[in-house]
Amino acid sequence: MNARRTLTPYLLLIPGLAPILVLMTLVIGMALTRSVTWTDVSGNVSLSLEAWRTILGQDQFWRAFFYSARIGTLGALISVVLAYPVALWLRRPFPGSGLVSSLIKAPILVHGLVAAFLYVNFVSFQGFLNVALVGLGFAARPIRMQNDPYAIGVVILQVWKNMPLAYLILSGSVSAVSDDLLNAARDLGVGTLGRLRRVVLPLTLRSLQAALILIFIGAAGDYTFQAVAGPTNINSMAQFMVRMEVDNGLQGWSLSAVVAVMLMGLSLFGAIALAGLVQVLVKRVGR
Amino acid sequence: MASPFPRAERWRNRLLILLALVVFFLALGLPFAMAVLWSLVDPSHPWAYPNVLPPVLSFRRWVEIWTTSGLQQALVNSYMVATTVAVSAILLALPTAYAFGRLEFRGKAVAQMLTLLPLAMPLFVLAMFYVAVLSRLGIYSRFLGIAIGHTFYFLPYAIRLLTVSFSGVRQDLIDAARDLGASRLTVFRHAYLPVLKPGLLAALIIVFILSIEEFAISYLVGAPDFTTVPTILFSYLGYNFIRPSAAAVSLILVVPNVLLMLIAERLLKSTGASAGSGKG
Repeated sequence: MNARRTLTPYLLLIPGLAPILVLMTLVIGMALTRSVTWTDVSGNVSLSLEAWRTILGQDQFWRAFFYSARIGTLGALISVVLAYPVALWLRRPFPGSGLVSSLIKAPILVHGLVAAFLYVNFVSFQGFLNVALVGLGFAARPIRMQNDPYAIGVVILQVWKNMPLAYLILSGSVSAVSDDLLNAARDLGVGTLGRLRRVVLPLTLRSLQAALILIFIGAAGDYTFQAVAGPTNINSMAQFMVRMEVDNGLQGWSLSAVVAVMLMGLSLFGAIALAGLVQVLVKRVGR
Repeated sequence: MASPFPRAERWRNRLLILLALVVFFLALGLPFAMAVLWSLVDPSHPWAYPNVLPPVLSFRRWVEIWTTSGLQQALVNSYMVATTVAVSAILLALPTAYAFGRLEFRGKAVAQMLTLLPLAMPLFVLAMFYVAVLSRLGIYSRFLGIAIGHTFYFLPYAIRLLTVSFSGVRQDLIDAARDLGASRLTVFRHAYLPVLKPGLLAALIIVFILSIEEFAISYLVGAPDFTTVPTILFSYLGYNFIRPSAAAVSLILVVPNVLLMLIAERLLKSTGASAGSGKG
């Protein structure tokens, strides 16, 4: 009876947890094994680090790697920086705060591809922005802004889509900061910025890190925003991974697997590094 | 009753609300209005520079997309996959959510963290090597491949939502029903079901929407034969950017899902309320 009671929770975990673990193990295992195998022209598969040598020796790969790291970092940091003041402003309910909160969260309901389309449609040759610029006399003729080479469009899209997520994660912990604590700091002569640095940031650090990690992983692994609105002369890591598989025949899977492993590494270590960096910064500014 | 906010703060809030409305209009309202306009551009009267507005508006583009593109099949595919995924994910999630929500056991926190694993992985990596796994396992049915992939990938959402519902069931109600001699089924009907129902429906709707919207797995597993609404939209946004068609498909993808999501949000709020007040 006792053994049955002890075992029950673990048996109940099987239907939900086992499929997830099986899927993740198979997918990660497949990526790792494919990255260390090589198929020669006659179709023979052997263990080899050739795929790693080929990929790590390509300039295009490193451009994609640093590009994705940059988009992930910028997307995560800007989203959080914009979400913080909003979360602080809406910390205490006031007439109209519910409406603003709902409006901020609205982009979460918009599909990424639709968001990309809306953006491209807005900045395109016939888009509202160009019509407005020409109509107001700021430009003589429409300007080409679609697929800009600096990836400003991709960063705007990342922030547009992820800032509400950051707000959602931060708002709970920002609201939980006690008024007594903030009032005590104010009574001790700490200004608005000081209260943010010394009280709010340290107390909401965990949520801040969670938001940064989630956004960084999503943005660094992005495919759709890049494919629709990104610069055409550079690939994101996800795009590069798919391209490697499509363009390289028998060796496609091995090359693509190396990119996949590097992207997983970037997501993991990039997210940890970003979270660690923020922790150090918050501690330093809180002194 | 006097307002708890000082006069200056009230004015500052009003100004900020106005600013938020302007930003919302520019970031969401206007782009959607443009999408609606583009979807109504008459095919024989293109909207081109220097026209500020479309010269002729009509529903011809909508009719054309509906009758000549693969949209009808894509809608059927999307909704069939999503229904299968929503039901399967909920059925698989229920026992696990019960364990997380109602039972205490060693390793619970670790198990809860493990359920979130898929969300910590770049989705395109997962989708790409999921294709390789399917091929290795000899699963060539695109429908089955996408349905299994979506079910496994969206399980964390179903588990999380149902865990909250299960933890909202009041123990004193369960104990009272048992003390009165109620059978297991009666206890479930009277103590569990009223609290679980809104969360269950919300989880069904949310997984359903997530599956309809999912692009990476549908695209990599389904291409080129099995199309869903997002893959059709992507084809309009690719190298041959067909803006009016993309506008129409965007609206088809967004509007029903937003309405469903609002229903889910309402249901989730009622879960919280019923759990908090002990209703049911």
